[in-house]
Amino acid sequence: MSFRRKLLAVFALTVFLSVVAVTWIVSAVTRRAFERSNEERTVALIAQFRREFNRRGEEVVRRVQAIAASDATTRMALALSHGAPDYGAYLTEGKTIADNQQLDFLEFVDSQGTIISSAQWPAKFGYKEISLPAAQPTPKEAFLRREDLPDGAALSLSAIREVNVGDKPLYVIGGRRIDKDFLATLELPAGMRAMFYQNFATEFSLQLLIDPSGTVQQPDRIAPLVERVQQQKEETIELIHWSSDAGDDETVHAIPLMGQDNQLLGILLVGNSRRPYVELRQRIRSAALLVGGGGILLAILLSGWVAARVTRPVEQLAAAAREVAAGNWNTQVEVSSSDELGELAESFNRMTHELLDQKERLVQTERVAAWRELARRLAHELKNPLFPLQLTVENLIRAREQTPEQFEEVLRESSSTLLAEISNLKTIISRFSEFSRMPQPQFQRVQLNEVVANVARLFQAQLRAPDRAAIDCQLQLAEPMEPIAADPELLHRAISNLVLNAMDAMPQGGTLQLRTRQQEDRAYVEISDTGTGLTPEECERLFTPYYTSKEHGTGLGLAIVQSVVSDHGGRISVQSQAGRGTTFVIELPRKSSN
Amino acid sequence: MRRFALPLLAASSLLLVVAASAATRPHYGGILRVALRAAPASLDPADPNQPGSLARSNISRLMFDTLVTLDNRGRLHPSVATSWEAEPGNQRWHVYLRRGLSFHDGSAVTSDAVAASLRAANPTWKIFPLGDAVVIECDAPDPNLPAELALSRNGIAKRDGKLLGTGPFAVADWQPGKKLTLTARDDYWGGRPFVDSIVIEMGKSFRDQMISLDLGKADLIEVAPEQAHRAAMENRSVQSSAPLELMALVFTRDRQSAEEGRLRQALVLSIDRAAMNTVLLQGGGEPAGGLLPNWMSGYAFLFTTDVNLPQARQVRGEVRQASPWTLGYDPADPVARVVAERVALNARDAGLSLQLSGSNSADLRLVRVPLVSLDPRVALASLATALGLPQPKFPGDSGDSLYAAETALLDSQRVIPLLHVRVAAGIGPTVRNWTASADGIWPLQDVWLSAEKP
Repeated sequence: MSFRRKLLAVFALTVFLSVVAVTWIVSAVTRRAFERSNEERTVALIAQFRREFNRRGEEVVRRVQAIAASDATTRMALALSHGAPDYGAYLTEGKTIADNQQLDFLEFVDSQGTIISSAQWPAKFGYKEISLPAAQPTPKEAFLRREDLPDGAALSLSAIREVNVGDKPLYVIGGRRIDKDFLATLELPAGMRAMFYQNFATEFSLQLLIDPSGTVQQPDRIAPLVERVQQQKEETIELIHWSSDAGDDETVHAIPLMGQDNQLLGILLVGNSRRPYVELRQRIRSAALLVGGGGILLAILLSGWVAARVTRPVEQLAAAAREVAAGNWNTQVEVSSSDELGELAESFNRMTHELLDQKERLVQTERVAAWRELARRLAHELKNPLFPLQLTVENLIRAREQTPEQFEEVLRESSSTLLAEISNLKTIISRFSEFSRMPQPQFQRVQLNEVVANVARLFQAQLRAPDRAAIDCQLQLAEPMEPIAADPELLHRAISNLVLNAMDAMPQGGTLQLRTRQQEDRAYVEISDTGTGLTPEECERLFTPYYTSKEHGTGLGLAIVQSVVSDHGGRISVQSQAGRGTTFVIELPRKSSN
Repeated sequence: MRRFALPLLAASSLLLVVAASAATRPHYGGILRVALRAAPASLDPADPNQPGSLARSNISRLMFDTLVTLDNRGRLHPSVATSWEAEPGNQRWHVYLRRGLSFHDGSAVTSDAVAASLRAANPTWKIFPLGDAVVIECDAPDPNLPAELALSRNGIAKRDGKLLGTGPFAVADWQPGKKLTLTARDDYWGGRPFVDSIVIEMGKSFRDQMISLDLGKADLIEVAPEQAHRAAMENRSVQSSAPLELMALVFTRDRQSAEEGRLRQALVLSIDRAAMNTVLLQGGGEPAGGLLPNWMSGYAFLFTTDVNLPQARQVRGEVRQASPWTLGYDPADPVARVVAERVALNARDAGLSLQLSGSNSADLRLVRVPLVSLDPRVALASLATALGLPQPKFPGDSGDSLYAAETALLDSQRVIPLLHVRVAAGIGPTVRNWTASADGIWPLQDVWLSAEKP
């Protein structure tokens, strides 16, 4: 990744993280504020419910008190004190009085707990009122009570009054229903609603959950909360997910409502919609997304501008470094600032200047070393034939002075020696001359297998010469081999040099392998021997001109091979292990680039 | 002094006699105002879509004569028919028509018209005119055919576009379900009714009817049986009939197993009919153990009506599991509701669960069925039809066969009789010559209106 992209990424990431952090903080603060507001609203609603509950309770007490004090009740009490009640006379009494007093429930119960008249269940005359607190004193305040009805049960806010006109008391039990109408009277702020669960069954029942509209949609979602309150009998809060839309979520506070004997009779459920919070959070996120997007866009533009300012000198330095790497050592960069990058540019310029100086010094040194090596080689090569020449000439002089009669014979012998050594000198000189005048390859379509086979055929006789240990030559030529573009003469010479080297490496005999193969757009020739092998140091210097590991070598053979291969656009490598042999690998392009 | 005293006493006595005869002398004219709770949409006596009720029979008999009538003792009397005779086997009957009768539009009553009228009411009968007679051929021997001809559904009606009858009153105005105005026929073969017209307001609640009577806006009203006693105690003129309506529980299907039969038996034993009658109906009926009231059958006392809760619990205990039943009732009938609630309470005491339901789809229903005939066999057959029970078989004419037929219906455990309910009417102070009828039919063609209140 380029420095400019990294800079851009850092800028964008910084902006993004900043926006995320701000969004998270704002969301958290908003959520806390919303929940605090919800709690306050819930507390207010519960207080309102209790106030309404108490107000209605007082009203029920007042109405029951009025019924207890009425003439009709007094007459009923007097009649009851005189004997068995005439249920027929009071069948509709309860209903009539309850309607007059706007009560939903009203029962007249005698001292034995027998219902004399019932407004809510007229047919229940003569039955026992099981909920009448016989052993306890009559409660003064209104209380929650379960009312059994023909079609089920209902929750009532009831009051009891005792009428003592005759010998036996008459109880007046009146109440008002706690139902959806009661819930509808609660003034709820927007986003809040009240539900009510009538706890008439041990298990959760859908029909017992009501709201001001009558029935609650998806009441089963409330079931776990209701069941928890049924078990714990304490206030509980739970987040209800009504649908996959988070806006439909509702925080529901469940408040248990207990009866006189501490029995759980109902559960008030106050729901706070989370839609306002979700919408606000959505708006915050949208704004954050907008700001974040804008910020990232701005960051891209800004970072582009900054990166351009910052990275241009760096890029110039990088380009200059590539120039230096390509060999253009006198490359200089413009120093446009005095900051760190300016210093870096000045240092780079100084570095290239120093490198140029050092290169020139190195070239001088290498040139001197080359001349020294050449002189050493020439001296060494020339010294060998010169020494016999000197001896031969000294022998001639000595023969002329000491044995003139044998001078003629010595002269003939010496002349032949002199000529042989002079021939040697000419050979040495021609080799140097040849190395200095390597011809350029003349490319043509060449079957590599043919070249290799010709070389093997050429050396077949030498490999099996009787004056030396036999070398087994093995050819492994890939078929088919596509022709390559090469100079057959130069290629033949290079492969011959390598075969000669291999033969020199196997004075005790061995196996010479010549292999060809092709891979993709390259052709390969491998020459392997089973000779003494080379050390790693020898491998490194093997292709250096005039370097030789042989006693009488000129060090030009492999140099010539490398030169030929290089002129063909290929390369040569060597793999060797001491004592196990050496393999030269020539890699050539199938199509010449020249 | 004594000489003047005797003539003065004689004159005073004569004045009293004249005044008394003036008060009892029939008075023609006037409009009789009637209020009813029922609101029939059709006046056709043979319309099967209209629920059978005493009020409908009352209206029908004002406009449509039947071939035969029954007196309070259930004896047959000629009406549109003068005589009738059965061929051997009692399957084919010849009914001879009264001559000179006419419909309300003046057209003559012919045997063709009578046959057409009877066919509309009895699709299973084969009826054809034969001179001045009609021949009725039933699908089975029917010795009670003349009594059946006295049913109000067999009122003779002419249905060619306009509904016409031969009764003492003709339709002057008809607002279905709301108001019916009838005018007296001067040429009625049985003599002109005393009142000129009758205006019947329909769809009035018992309470509204009572208010109308108290305010003098109605001369004749229906009184709920449970209110009859109180109304009489409040110095209103209330006439109650013998129990003419059966209130019963009817299971919608036959018992499916012996266990279900035990549960039904437990329900029968748990019901406190006496309390229902004395408290809920305020004595406006009788506890019913049978389908026919005792005054009609003479043997109804043989069917026990006592509650036996211990036995009910024991029978209930013989069944391990019992799914709750739904008890349907007419929500518009306050008495039906309170009786249904009491039945549910009684059943609960026996360990049975009854859930009340105002819908028609219930395991058993609380129904009120009028006794449409004073003939016990016809009444029982009509009850069976109305209750959806199989038609009773009468092996003979004796009372034993009637008892056996009724017992068979009860043994099917499809029906549980609860109460026989009286029918009561509130009569205004100007209404005269009201004679109670055993079958609850209002004798409006015989009443006349006094000009002054007593």
